[in-house]
Amino acid sequence: MINSLVMVIAGLAAGPALGGVISGLDRILTARLQARIGPPVWQPYFDVLKLFGKEKMVVNVWQAFCAYCYVAASSIALVLFFLQSDLLLILFVQAVGALFLVIGAFSSTSPFSQIGAHRELLQILSYEPLLVLVTVGIYLETGSFKIQAVYGGDAPLLLKLPFLFVVLGYALTIKLRKSPFDLSTCHHAHQELVKGLLTDFSGPFLALTEIGHWYEVVLLLGLCSLFWATSWGGMIIIVVITYLLEVLIDNVSARMNWRWMLGYVWSMGLALSMVNLVWLYAR
Amino acid sequence: MTEKLATILILMPFVSAVCCYLIRSVRLRSWVVLVTGVLLIAGALLLIPLTPFTFAAGSLAGLSIRHIVSAADFLLLFVILYFGFKHRSIIIKMLSVFQILLLAYLEFFSVKGIAAAGTIYCDQLSMTMVLIVALVGSIICFQAIPYMQNHETHLKLEKSRQNRFFAVMILFLGAMNGLVLSNDLMFFYFFFEVTTLCSFLLIGHDRTETAVKNAVRALWMNSLGGAAFIAALTVIFSQTAHLDLYRILLDADPANRIFLLSLALLCLAAFTKSAQFPFQSWLLGAMVAPTPVSALLHSSTMVNVGVYLVIRLAPAFRQTFLSHSVAFFGAFTFLAAAALAVGQSNGKKVLAYSTISNLGLIFACAGLNSPQAITAGILLLIFHAIIKALLFLCVGSIEQHIASRDIEDMRGLYAVMPVTALITVMGVIMMIMPPFGVIISKWMAIEAAASDFFIIILIAPGSALTVMYWARWGGILMSDPFAGRFKAEVQPVLTWTALGLLCLGAAILSIGAPWLYQWVIAPAESDFYLLDYTSRGGILENVVGIFPVFPLGLVAVLGFVIAIWAVKKAAGARVVAPYLSGVQTAEPGVFTGPMNTPTKAEAKNYYLASIFGEDKLTTWINLAAGVLLTLVIGGAL
Repeated sequence: MINSLVMVIAGLAAGPALGGVISGLDRILTARLQARIGPPVWQPYFDVLKLFGKEKMVVNVWQAFCAYCYVAASSIALVLFFLQSDLLLILFVQAVGALFLVIGAFSSTSPFSQIGAHRELLQILSYEPLLVLVTVGIYLETGSFKIQAVYGGDAPLLLKLPFLFVVLGYALTIKLRKSPFDLSTCHHAHQELVKGLLTDFSGPFLALTEIGHWYEVVLLLGLCSLFWATSWGGMIIIVVITYLLEVLIDNVSARMNWRWMLGYVWSMGLALSMVNLVWLYAR
Repeated sequence: MTEKLATILILMPFVSAVCCYLIRSVRLRSWVVLVTGVLLIAGALLLIPLTPFTFAAGSLAGLSIRHIVSAADFLLLFVILYFGFKHRSIIIKMLSVFQILLLAYLEFFSVKGIAAAGTIYCDQLSMTMVLIVALVGSIICFQAIPYMQNHETHLKLEKSRQNRFFAVMILFLGAMNGLVLSNDLMFFYFFFEVTTLCSFLLIGHDRTETAVKNAVRALWMNSLGGAAFIAALTVIFSQTAHLDLYRILLDADPANRIFLLSLALLCLAAFTKSAQFPFQSWLLGAMVAPTPVSALLHSSTMVNVGVYLVIRLAPAFRQTFLSHSVAFFGAFTFLAAAALAVGQSNGKKVLAYSTISNLGLIFACAGLNSPQAITAGILLLIFHAIIKALLFLCVGSIEQHIASRDIEDMRGLYAVMPVTALITVMGVIMMIMPPFGVIISKWMAIEAAASDFFIIILIAPGSALTVMYWARWGGILMSDPFAGRFKAEVQPVLTWTALGLLCLGAAILSIGAPWLYQWVIAPAESDFYLLDYTSRGGILENVVGIFPVFPLGLVAVLGFVIAIWAVKKAAGARVVAPYLSGVQTAEPGVFTGPMNTPTKAEAKNYYLASIFGEDKLTTWINLAAGVLLTLVIGGAL
């Protein structure tokens, strides 16, 4: 009981604590790749704190509802991850957050928000099936959807599920809002829709969406860490390498359109998953 | 006691239907409908503690009920034949003659009036169906009372035809109860045909050209199902020498190819009833009827016959190729119908495709045929029925209010009819988000399907497409700039009662899903399956997965309360116009365009018609479904 309580608190804290730092490091690294110095590592926290201090402005009060639901769902998803719950359930809860963000964007009539919301839906459509197939792969290897079964294994999952790890990489790139998949919104205005999905969120509500995003990022990196869950070192190394690759991909690729995204991610992602799953079934 | 209650559930609607037909006074007829509904609900609830039970049908006014049913059966088929002649449909004529001949063969030469030992058999599965029919069906009939008043005022009919309408609606409920309680397959077949006829009458109710055309199509497609059904009965009787459903399931021999073929034919009959591809067009056409009809067909009655039948039969074909092919067929329908739903902007069509899609998933579960999958199937059946009824009734109210069923016209509905909009959004959320019932069953279904490569590869993209078409719809309902204070719209009391009961019912049942499993679903399958899930403290768990339904529900309620509090607080915040690149005018949604002309900013939904349009997909999907259907039937041999 005490143990789960500790895990709940750890999950709640991990989002802002790790997510903010990761975001700060990301910004420094990206700046260095672009021959800039970049902001201090704590900058994301300053940004969020500043946003919280701003005047509350809404286009539609339901935005507030959706922003809170986004943070609630994404933090619950991370807590469930820390409690080593069911992977599929975690995906579903995470999707709730993502959907509330979309619904929040829909609640403004601005075409920027509306198109951003649609693009976000297409992004969700692209990565959802892949994430489900990744959990199916993990289930086939460990015999359970529960995360505790992953930690019980004696060989790293990556060796059995290499292609599914790549597939998870697609989903991660989309969720981190990195090029070539930064269609709906991102930090660099690549989406060419002002701020796309987040255009009409402002002040404290925008800050909430940022915090929600931190939770999501930590959750996805947590999923990555499961692929080398046999040791702490392995977990950290796999996450660091994955994230470095993400930053690199972000900086060397251009933003593509949704047709390309849907076609590419579904064909490549499904093909890779199928190959990997067939190995597991054939065994 | 049980016999009396079963009589109330099955026969009373038939009597009430006659009353409805004869009574001309609107007020009196409404009371008949209300009383019938309440009695049905009471009867169903009283039956719960008595389940399971079985009894043989005795006689009515000196005549054996078995004989009455066979006479009624012939009468029914001749009525269908009459409609075949009336509408000059060669297919209906052929199919009904075929059925009459087979029925005559069965009644006079082979079965010869042998009744099953227990004509009526009610276990937890039947009980669940009776509850769905009684509760959801009656609530739909209640809402139909104000709806039909409006409907006829709008049509400016000289002579009201509501008496016929309510007679058939009530009759439908009785037929459904009869169907799910029948253990003698001859009775089952009779009620099966009654539902076919009822749906035909209801779809054609408005007597417009399209209505008649669509009704005739529904009749021939469902007659095909009826023909498959009675052909299956002939084969089964030749193999087992009885038509006792429960005994057939107990003594099932999957190695007997001919027996398996008859099960495949029954599956075909089920697919037509549940409007699976390539028979989807009758259900899509059914939306020409008044909305309560769609609500009834899509949720508590017609389409449930198919899934009920296959779930019921599933233990008999466990671990056969037939089972695999049914699962594959269902999963394919799930994906294909979800894809077609993405391409639609017509709200009722989206609902129709979503029905087909969800039923496909239930068939997939029945075909997977593991305890886990069957649990998922039954859960989905329950929750889909409630929420789909809710959404249809919402769309019906919306349509009467804004005179459109197009999703695009529902933009900013919150400003026009806030409460209905909120309930609709709630319905949408319950379709796609945990901890609500549909997602609990989807979670079970995916975990059950994970060990089958061919099924999971179809279900994974299908569920993502499902999320897409629902979220898009739910999102735009709230899309007008809005700050605080709403004024509820005026609706008849019966409409509010119906919407409120369905919405609350679905939410409460969702949180109570572990207990629903423990008390209803587990006993329903325990005769044929080893139970898989344990339900402890509101947590559903088995070896492969865990879903803390109740704790998560509590957290969700907490989150909801906080979010509502945030809305209250945000109502005091400064309200600004949506961003329009800084050139918005004083009028909301209008910006200063080229040449300083005021221009309205507009954005519409993506329907991706170039990928998911009906014209792009339907032909190929029908073709593929035809091939899969051949696989289902041929694979049984």
